[in-house]
Order: sequence, then C-alpha cells, then structure tokens
Amino acid sequence: MDELELLKKDWKKQDANYPKLSYDQIYNMLWKKSSSIVKWIFIISVLELLISTFLSVLFAGDDYWVQLEKYNLKQFTEVLFVIGYAITFFFIFLFYRNYKKISATDDAATLMKNILRTRRTVKYYIAYVLIYNGLTAMLIFSYMIYLHINSQDQTLIKYSFDTLDWIKFIGVGLIVLTLFLGLIWLFYRLLYGILLKKLHRNYKELKKLEL
Amino acid sequence: MDKALEHKFVTNLEKDQNIVHKICRIYTNDQASHNDLFQEITIQLWKAYPKFRGDAKFSTWMYRVALNTAITLYRKKKRGIQTQDYDTVHFRIKAEEYNDETEQQLSLLYNAVKELNDIDKALVFLYLEDKNYREISETLGISEVNARVKMNRVKTKLKKILNP
Repeated sequence: MDELELLKKDWKKQDANYPKLSYDQIYNMLWKKSSSIVKWIFIISVLELLISTFLSVLFAGDDYWVQLEKYNLKQFTEVLFVIGYAITFFFIFLFYRNYKKISATDDAATLMKNILRTRRTVKYYIAYVLIYNGLTAMLIFSYMIYLHINSQDQTLIKYSFDTLDWIKFIGVGLIVLTLFLGLIWLFYRLLYGILLKKLHRNYKELKKLEL
Repeated sequence: MDKALEHKFVTNLEKDQNIVHKICRIYTNDQASHNDLFQEITIQLWKAYPKFRGDAKFSTWMYRVALNTAITLYRKKKRGIQTQDYDTVHFRIKAEEYNDETEQQLSLLYNAVKELNDIDKALVFLYLEDKNYREISETLGISEVNARVKMNRVKTKLKKILNP
C-alpha cells in the first residue's frame, strides 16, 4: 500500500518532534499510582471477600446462635460455615495464583488470556456465593416450615396457616430471595462488564485469527 | 529497590522515551491522555523491570510492555470534551518538501489509523517502526502467518476508511 509507505516515511521524520521528558520527570513517575485493569480486578475481588465476610459476621450475632441452638441447627450451621470458609480460602489461593501469573512482559495474547482467566475465577466465586447463600436460605426456610408444622408448642399453633397462606408465604420468600440474589449478580455483571469490555473485544480480535 | 537499579532504569527510559511517546500518539487523542498513558506505561515498565534480564535490548523489551499497557492494562480516565486537534498542535509540523496534497493525505491517514481498534493500531505501529513479522507475531502472541494475514486486513480496512 503506497499510503502506508508514505505514512512510514513521515513517521520517521516526526522523531524529533516528540516531547522530551527529563530524567527527573521520569523518575517522579515511578512513584505514581497505577490505574491498571489488573489492580482494579484485584481491589474488587478483595472487597468482595471482605464484604461477604463482614455480612456473615453481621448476621451471625449472638442472638443468631442462640436461635439456632433452640432449633437444633447450630451444628448444621457450623458445618456449613466451615465448608464455606474452606471454599473461600481456596478461592483466595486461586486469586493469588492468577495474579502472580499476570505479567506485562508476556505477549499480548497470553497476557489477555491470563487476565480473562482471573475474571473467570471471580465469576465462579460470585456464582459460588450466590448458590451457597441461596441454598442455605432455602434449607433453613424449609426446616423452619417443617418445625412449625410439627410443633406442639401452643403459642405457635395459635398462628396456624391454611394452605393458601403457606403458598403466599413461600412465594413471597422465594421472590425476595431471587430479587436479592439477582441484584448481586447484576451488580457484578455491570462492574466487570464495564471493566473488561475493551479487553474482551481485543482478545476476541486476536482469537479470531487462530480459527 | 536499590538506587542503582532506579538510576539504570530511568537513564534507559530517558534515552528510549520516544518509543513510549509514539505509542501514546497512536492510542490517545489529547495531551492529557497522552501524559496519562505515558505515566501508566512508565509504571508498568518499572514494575516489570526486575524481570528484565538484559538478554534482549532494552528497547525491544519496552515495545512489548508498553504495547501491552496500551492494549490490555490501561484504564482510560474519563475526559472532558476535547477541543483541540492534538495532532495538528503537537506533531504535524509541516515538512518543507511536502506539498499541500501530500500534507492533506497524511493528515487523513493519521486520522484513519486513529479509527482502528487497539490490536490493529498495534500492528500499524509495529509496521511503522520497521518491525518484521517475526517480531510482530512475538509481541502479539500470534503466528507469523497470522500476523501477515492480519496486516493485510488492516491495510484493507485503512483503504476502506480512506475511500468509503
């Protein structure tokens, strides 16, 4: 292409026209803050871990444990907690490993692949949080219903529900739960969607060639 | 990190800073963004520097890290409305031997390159820097054959932008 050759000729001529930064100006830049995508993904995933830990501590106050004990759920919840934290720590390990792998000195395709893999890990983590919370809520919910039906406690029997009430009760419960989980999901979709849109586009561009 | 390493790095970068400026020129549209990207590339270069073994030339290594930053790592900051045409203000110093027609053609060409996507821009940049297909393929992580195919497509794209 003649035009590109023309451009190349001009490109070389422009060499003298670029700004010249001094040694000190460059030196000062070394200590500036980076705004790289990797840093943002890392910050978000750490925040995500902190928030979910914070939430579980918040909800699991002393009252919570006393209540659980009353319903014989304490052991069950403890087991759930242990499993939950084991999985969370496994994810922390995965996050860490992914970040170690990201290196600006890789070729562009490898670098993008590693970043997208990091993002996939985060996605799995979110899916896990959603499923875990959803399942736990449903388990406890059904157990409560079971307890209520089989209860001999006079104060509880007073509030006896007919079938329609039960359907309403379960329906509302499910809707609230779905809304809550849906909101969290949407939030992450948006967050990472915006953050990685450009990267995803670029990666697809390179992948296309390999087909 | 120790002072000697800092000194070596800054000295090297000062000498080869044109490479970074050229990448900023292709990837940004105004002076503030140019400075932002330059800074981000410097930070990424510095972070990666301990891994630089010196078996490659500093400048070759720079191409890779700097392009990676522009294509992959850099998050553009939101900017206000851009009012000035950056290229005309800073770079397009009219060379004596160009006639008006060539001058106009060049200006159209630079604008056409600006319309390309990040990967295509990288190809054009490496091409303008006289890199061969092996170097292009190594920087982008595609095969040499693919680099050639891609370059041809970019040329077609540019033609289309110039002659719609």
